Amino acid sequence: MSKLPAELPTSQSPVPLLRVSGLTKRYGEERAIDHVTFSANSGEVVGIIGPNGAGKTTLLETVVGLVSTDAGEVSWHGEPLPASQRRNALFYLPDGVRPYRDAATYQVVSFFAGVYRRSKAETADTITSVGLRPVLHKRIHALSKGYNRRLLLALALLAPHPVLLMDEPFDGFDLRQTHEIVGVLRSQAARGRTFILAIHQLVDAERVCDRLILLAAGRVRGSGTLDELRAQTSLPAGSLEDIFLALT
Amino acid sequence: MRSPDTYDWQAAPLRPLLATELRELVSGRALWIMLLLLCPLIGYSFFQAVSLYTESSTAALQSPVLANSLSPLDGILVPTLGSFYVAVTLLFPLVAIRALGQEKETGALRLLVQLPYRLFTIVSAKFAAVLAAWILASIPALSALFFWRMMGGHLAAVETANLLFGHLVYGLLVGALALFSASIAESAATAAIIALAVTIGSWVLDFTVAGNPGLLSWIAQLSLTQTLRPFEQGLLSGGLVLGAACVIFGFIALATVWLPPGVPPLNKLRRSLPWLVVLALMLVVAAQVRLTVDVTEDRRNSFPVPDQKLLATLRLPLFVTVHLAAEDPRYADLQRNVLAKLERAMPSVSVTLARPRQGFSGGSSDESYSEVEYVYGKRSDISRSTSPREILPLLYALAGVLPPAPTPGSEYPGYPLVASADAALFWFFGALPLLIVLCWWWVRRPPSVDNSLAHEGGPS
Repeated sequence: MSKLPAELPTSQSPVPLLRVSGLTKRYGEERAIDHVTFSANSGEVVGIIGPNGAGKTTLLETVVGLVSTDAGEVSWHGEPLPASQRRNALFYLPDGVRPYRDAATYQVVSFFAGVYRRSKAETADTITSVGLRPVLHKRIHALSKGYNRRLLLALALLAPHPVLLMDEPFDGFDLRQTHEIVGVLRSQAARGRTFILAIHQLVDAERVCDRLILLAAGRVRGSGTLDELRAQTSLPAGSLEDIFLALT
Repeated sequence: MRSPDTYDWQAAPLRPLLATELRELVSGRALWIMLLLLCPLIGYSFFQAVSLYTESSTAALQSPVLANSLSPLDGILVPTLGSFYVAVTLLFPLVAIRALGQEKETGALRLLVQLPYRLFTIVSAKFAAVLAAWILASIPALSALFFWRMMGGHLAAVETANLLFGHLVYGLLVGALALFSASIAESAATAAIIALAVTIGSWVLDFTVAGNPGLLSWIAQLSLTQTLRPFEQGLLSGGLVLGAACVIFGFIALATVWLPPGVPPLNKLRRSLPWLVVLALMLVVAAQVRLTVDVTEDRRNSFPVPDQKLLATLRLPLFVTVHLAAEDPRYADLQRNVLAKLERAMPSVSVTLARPRQGFSGGSSDESYSEVEYVYGKRSDISRSTSPREILPLLYALAGVLPPAPTPGSEYPGYPLVASADAALFWFFGALPLLIVLCWWWVRRPPSVDNSLAHEGGPS
């Protein structure tokens, strides 16, 4: 692999690393997402916040090109990024996936490490960072929900893509485990990797995200840092929950 | 600008993908259950075939003139591998569907399509795993052939290899069909229904419309099971192999089109159309390939060698007009004994089936019914015979050449064998299933983890 996340710059250039403009996806008459616009910079953790059914998953899948869009554009460093090329830059971790159920955990991790030509040291580091070591010998179907989530995180971290999109990355974790994983994501972000996380737990989102995009019924209701959102809603001490309720 | 195009995705190694696909097929239950079911199926077929062959051989040993009709291809190979064919038709789709169906069901497909491989590469890797699964599934059948040799039975290398190749082509057709079914269906169960509808539907076609003239005859040729027949008759047909390869490629290409999640079915249908056109063109080209080789040791599909050589020198086109109904058994005899052989031996043969006139009672009122007219150059002759012994001299007379002298000692000797396959029953009903269960256990045992991956980690 010619570029690894560690090499990516954490610049705040005027042109965002990734920009999504007017993304729209319709299923029949229903608009799953409606003219969604947002951007993400290198090393940023962006949270897409919304209740179940808000369109978070559809948004992530349209951004990475897994689902076709009806309108809108995704650009990379200001240049249009066609759907066919998005998998070169973006890696999406879906929710509720249990890949290769009959394989052992380490076999699946080794598969991804092999595909992306990761060294054994890099693979071992990733395994350790997400706390997967105790279950390496276990088959995927025997993993708890939390360990399956750790496995998926490990697979995403092994991918060398500069932008990772994750659907409900903290689902299945308790408070302590969430703290651990937030630490892992933060350290990756510090090395220039960008995360776009779809989260429905507002407390988790508040804890991990640099910027938040509030989504309801497929539309962006507000975006910015927590302080900017507080200013927008005139709730100077408001929690993300208060802000969300005020905006939706 | 730093474009994501700068990433070198083409360098992604194939080995992990192939290893994972193979492991997925081997770690599932379907393949092992199929192997276990194949043991008694093939074992009993082999036992029965040997018993019948022994009975015929006993008579042939008392009357040696009967021996030359005893061919292991018909007596042992075809019936033994016939049960393998049944298993491949009914069970192999379930094995092959697993290569893709489970990923669709668990959502892992969304991870897979993001890996740095072309979709065609992903489907091809799955197809390679299906091929490996077929090779594993053929072990019981191959062991039956091994037993036959151990018992002193004769196997002609080329005709045996040809028959095994035919089963491989059929297995790959079924495997490719299963992959395509899995790509269009949302669940493995639906994919199985689609695949079995085609394979079992082929049997229905065989039973209902085969032997009928016109459109029904053309429809009958769409049956997958027709693929195997020429191989069972000891023929290696270039057109058939090419056609089967085209269909396999077509199924893989269509599976590639239907694989990506999130694309509306109408778009997939639109993208499929060019492939269907390409497939149709490839099949038309394949249909033009007339090369067929008789690989049987007894050369049952050919005239004697001197006749073959002489017929090959008759350069003018031969026109044959057959006044027989397509369903008339005499037409089948003529086709098998004469016309098919002529088409392979002569450079240009054109056969026309003249439609007989019907009388009021429904029977044929045509006095020329059952006549067969042969036109070579400016000369013609008529015969009602379906035997090459009468027709070949007629053709030589039309061509103005002398019949060739028969070659002494070229008679097929036949291979009678009186043997007991009781020991094979122990193998197929005891030892082989036990070995399969042991292999299954070995594959399913808790894997040992690479120590270098289990260490605490450090700076990379």
